[in-house]
Amino acid sequence: MSAARWGDVATYAALALLGAFFALPFAWLISLALRTPAEVYRGAARFIPESPTLDNFATILSDPAFLIYLWNGLKLSASGGALAVALAIPAAYAASRIDFRGRQAVLVGLLAVQMISPLVILLPLYRWMNTLGLLNQHISVIAVYGALGMPLAVWLLKVAFDAIPVELEEAAAIDGASRPRILARITLPLARSGIASAFILAMVMNWSQFLIPFILLERDADWPISVAIFNFAGSVSASTTQLLAAACLIAVLPAVVIFILLQRMIVSALISGAVKG
Amino acid sequence: MTTTVERAPNDGHPAPWLAPAVLVLAVFYAVPVLDVARLAFSDATLIEPATGFSTQALRAILGNPALPQVLGTTVLFVAVNVLALQVAGLAIALLIVRGERRELPGMAAFRTLVLAAWVVPGIANGLIWQILFDEAPYGTLNSLLGYAGLGPVAWLSDPQMALVSAVIANLWQGTAFSMIVFYAARRGIDPTLYEVADLDGAGPVRTFRSITLPLMRRAIAVNTVLVSVQTLNTFDSILALTGGGPGRATEVLSLFTFNTVFYNLDLAGGSVLALMLFALGMALTLLIGWLNRGEARA
Repeated sequence: MSAARWGDVATYAALALLGAFFALPFAWLISLALRTPAEVYRGAARFIPESPTLDNFATILSDPAFLIYLWNGLKLSASGGALAVALAIPAAYAASRIDFRGRQAVLVGLLAVQMISPLVILLPLYRWMNTLGLLNQHISVIAVYGALGMPLAVWLLKVAFDAIPVELEEAAAIDGASRPRILARITLPLARSGIASAFILAMVMNWSQFLIPFILLERDADWPISVAIFNFAGSVSASTTQLLAAACLIAVLPAVVIFILLQRMIVSALISGAVKG
Repeated sequence: MTTTVERAPNDGHPAPWLAPAVLVLAVFYAVPVLDVARLAFSDATLIEPATGFSTQALRAILGNPALPQVLGTTVLFVAVNVLALQVAGLAIALLIVRGERRELPGMAAFRTLVLAAWVVPGIANGLIWQILFDEAPYGTLNSLLGYAGLGPVAWLSDPQMALVSAVIANLWQGTAFSMIVFYAARRGIDPTLYEVADLDGAGPVRTFRSITLPLMRRAIAVNTVLVSVQTLNTFDSILALTGGGPGRATEVLSLFTFNTVFYNLDLAGGSVLALMLFALGMALTLLIGWLNRGEARA
């Protein structure tokens, strides 16, 4: 066998080891979620349950509150993601198409604010929202999601706009179209895969958010799934681990599935962003 | 910056375009940070407004006997994670690039697996690993170790082990970010360099040390800062995994801040801690600028 073939074997051996580490939590979660309560106590001996059951999922999903948590999670993440992209489009367009002094400063500033922990800005925001009577309103969470998602969205959209030949816009400008019209009619449609990547990425990050809804929403019925499972975990005992596993899987699955389906698009957007940044 | 008489494609006033973004930066970032600074020097609680200037909160926090331990834990947690995340991320990126070059099947699937862990919400990450670290004989890792005749390990009840466990959970979720950055950087290296090295008979170790590592230096430097700040700001997975315990063994600065404000309702004290978080994050960010400057001159 050649050295390269041995190298392939070593590559697979290393990836198998790393793969076991990354796959174990998912595999174990699925295994637990399919077990009966008695089998939970059998540990690794029942990695493949003898009598797999969907009862745990049925128990979780038959709870109307759980469906509301999922719906809240979807609503908050999607609205927050859409707001982030909407706020980012004009700035990204300017950064891509208009030569102005301080352009680099704006882009660096956007990168810098991403280093600020949401915890820092949430302290004053909590008080302001309280004063404005916006606590316990989804709109407050959506607004913060929009602000948190905007900087990355500007970067991703700038890269997407950069990739569109400026000649297309010049042709339209000669025909007398105004800039906003050019943006709406030519640039945005051509940049749709970049826009979609920015939106999905913002949405997935919002789905993971815990701190903001946990602090700004006090009523159980307003919570998204990320807050609800934290609360649910506080109430389970060893005899209901299988239910917690099923609840975690349901909470994790939407983000993972969307990401896997669209990962080619998102990862290439991230990679081009990483190269430019 | 030159504007010709004819309508240049790049002209136009940026102000109206930038207004929404700048407004958001001001309202949601700049003013809140200033307000946190103001609150830090006040006597405000979460419910009561500030009544005047005071350095009492600052003195109370700096005199808090828990602070040295929290800062120590934070530095250790961030340093170990930054090292581990990047070694794992670099190893995976290089393995995948090698696999793709040799056209080995399964590379995309492996990358997907690592990325899947990345999009798991932090809270769920903490809960999942809490299940895996369950110290009962039927707990995941302990029952697996039992097969190998090892253990049981006190994953979460032993203070030192709990910190290791928190690092493992963070590694599982966070590696993907470094993997993407390093994958992009490695793909950006001119392949002819490797062909030349191969012709010269350089082995894999030599090639890694003389080509890959030097040419990825900037990516590694920038990524180090990004990952440090991300780790510094992480607390939801630790909150769900250990709640900061046992004792304060896994209570990092961000979790300490969270507890101070939202459990002890000490807004002024929490603002002092939040300022520390902010200062640390900004110091690390300035480091990026400095590193990039060095690169521009080189």
